[in-house]
Amino acid sequence: MQSKEAILDQLYVLIRPYASEPIELCAETGLINEVGLDSVKVMELMTQIEDHFDISVPLNILPRVNSLGDLAEQLQQLLKDS
Amino acid sequence: MGLEATTTGNNLPLRAADFPNLAAALDYAALGRTGCNFYTSRGELYAVLTYSQLREQARGLARRLRGLGAARGARMVIVADTHPDFLRFFFACQYAGLVPVPLPIPHNPGSHKAYVAQIQAMTRGCQASLAVAPADYSELLADATEGLGLTFVGTSATYDTLPQQAGELSPMQVDELAYLQYTSGSTRFPRGVMITQRAVLNNLSGIITEGMDMRTTDRCVSWLPFYHDMGLVGLVLAPLASQLSVDYLGTREFAMRPRQWLSLMSRNKATISFSPPFGYELCNRRLREGEAETFDLSAWRVAGVGAETIRPQVLYDFAEALGPSGFDRKAFLACYGMAECSLAVSFAPLDGGLSVDHVDAEHLALLDHARPATDAVKERLSQFVNCGVPLSAFEVEVRNAAGDVVPERHIGVIHVRAPSVMSGYFNEPEITAETLSPDGWLNTGDIGYRVDDSIMITGRSKDLIIINGRNIWPQDLEQLAEQQPDVRPGDALAFAVPGAGGADVAVMVVQYRDNDSDKRAELIRRLQGLIHAEVGVDCHIELAPLHTLPRTSSGKLSRSKARQNYIDAHPLNQAGVQIERQATAVLSQKQAG
Repeated sequence: MQSKEAILDQLYVLIRPYASEPIELCAETGLINEVGLDSVKVMELMTQIEDHFDISVPLNILPRVNSLGDLAEQLQQLLKDS
Repeated sequence: MGLEATTTGNNLPLRAADFPNLAAALDYAALGRTGCNFYTSRGELYAVLTYSQLREQARGLARRLRGLGAARGARMVIVADTHPDFLRFFFACQYAGLVPVPLPIPHNPGSHKAYVAQIQAMTRGCQASLAVAPADYSELLADATEGLGLTFVGTSATYDTLPQQAGELSPMQVDELAYLQYTSGSTRFPRGVMITQRAVLNNLSGIITEGMDMRTTDRCVSWLPFYHDMGLVGLVLAPLASQLSVDYLGTREFAMRPRQWLSLMSRNKATISFSPPFGYELCNRRLREGEAETFDLSAWRVAGVGAETIRPQVLYDFAEALGPSGFDRKAFLACYGMAECSLAVSFAPLDGGLSVDHVDAEHLALLDHARPATDAVKERLSQFVNCGVPLSAFEVEVRNAAGDVVPERHIGVIHVRAPSVMSGYFNEPEITAETLSPDGWLNTGDIGYRVDDSIMITGRSKDLIIINGRNIWPQDLEQLAEQQPDVRPGDALAFAVPGAGGADVAVMVVQYRDNDSDKRAELIRRLQGLIHAEVGVDCHIELAPLHTLPRTSSGKLSRSKARQNYIDAHPLNQAGVQIERQATAVLSQKQAG
């Protein structure tokens, strides 16, 4: 099973191109308020995550995802179940 | 799995919405073999619901709803995911004598709180008795309906365990409501448009016959949300009321994999689909090298475009890129409408493609007169897409500020009157009176002009901001600013300006006293983050000194003046460039590459 840290490292690579400014990415970074994703880009990112991890991301997890760490935890759970 | 999509073509003669109510429309469609098909984001067919099955299931469910004892005409809110359950509940309401109210689904990370507030405002606003959400959203719905005193709240599975009440069903009749439609996701201004059975069926008949000339050989594809007027009336009710098969792709699934739309169109040789311009743009942006020829879009005869300002270039680019698929740019069908009219007001002529009116921009700005451009070299041009001829049930007038009807090619506010116009906003007599006159004329809030019988839209008099086909109220953006400890009520004005490609860009001017550049940058970041999280759009924030926001002659803050000041201070292209730079890097990277 992948550790949360390992998943986060992969997320940083996927998310980096979306960051509007050269900000430091960490588990506490806010996906919306700090990375600056609008709704269309969120979907683009989810597609990349699905393709990268080869999983299906149910979109109802999103309302409770605030930070990259939240996202990594959700993905960890999905990877465990898949 | 043995699932097979419903056929194109039917064993029934096409009837064009000539029914007294939606239940009767489904009763007739159920005699045929067509229906609805649902696909995953990877293009797998996961559910098929023939109209015959839909009728049977909706009637069974209607008996369970009857057993709950809600009064006739009571509202049932339905969290409207693109799923067979939405159709089952929507039509169960029709048979049970209840009014369905489609509600949006949350789409943004971290939006839990904002979404709960939105659903709560809508549920309270329509005084709902019943509520249903897909299992994935049941927790959200429970949070949103807590303390509102609803009779029953559940998922489709919990409704299915209720006992069925015996006896005859008594469907909603011609003068009763067909549904209640929220026109924007605003938490402060949830306005529920009341549409009667007579109104929606009248509009459906116009859409089916005059607008699209639907035939039994047609097949529709849609990824539009079921809670959106174009998605619900145009691509759920119109196919049903003309007994056509439809292939559905979820809206979020489309946003993730937009090319699935084109795959579905290809797979079943679909002939009709609609999208705001941004949908065509998104597809084009994601198209891969050499991929266009793998699609077969040669059967696509109605590529409807509406719901936001139509930017011709975006559509020309799409047609150009998809040329190898057999897509014909003549399929583009510009249309104009709004939830307050059920849906459609006008359609461009079929098989005509886009028609653009070029006018002298200077003359237009000075004299409110759309004079055709004569010398393209010397004049600055404005171009407006011809939104076509109103359906025959409509009377249309263009009126000036004094309320007088203006001649052809003169700019004014578009007013319409038709049997398909709403009865009013639910429980909002004052707002209704501002919009709808006692003799039935609806002030659309859209500004435009007429040429012959056609309508061109040039802007909006109301303050609505429309981004990616979504209606956004400026008050919602302003409220987020005013909630900040360092911003006071009356310190923020939000409005839309035309961005680089002509699409709306949201701008908010905020009065701010501190000159410290770090604090200023921090406030901008904070506001943009909040707006992303709660509203899901990019917004350009401009800070202004105290007491500089413009006011009307009566002393009220003026969004339209603030907008004009902003546009004057940022000549069009510069404003677009600046906004894009402040927005995010992704778009510009794509454009550069």
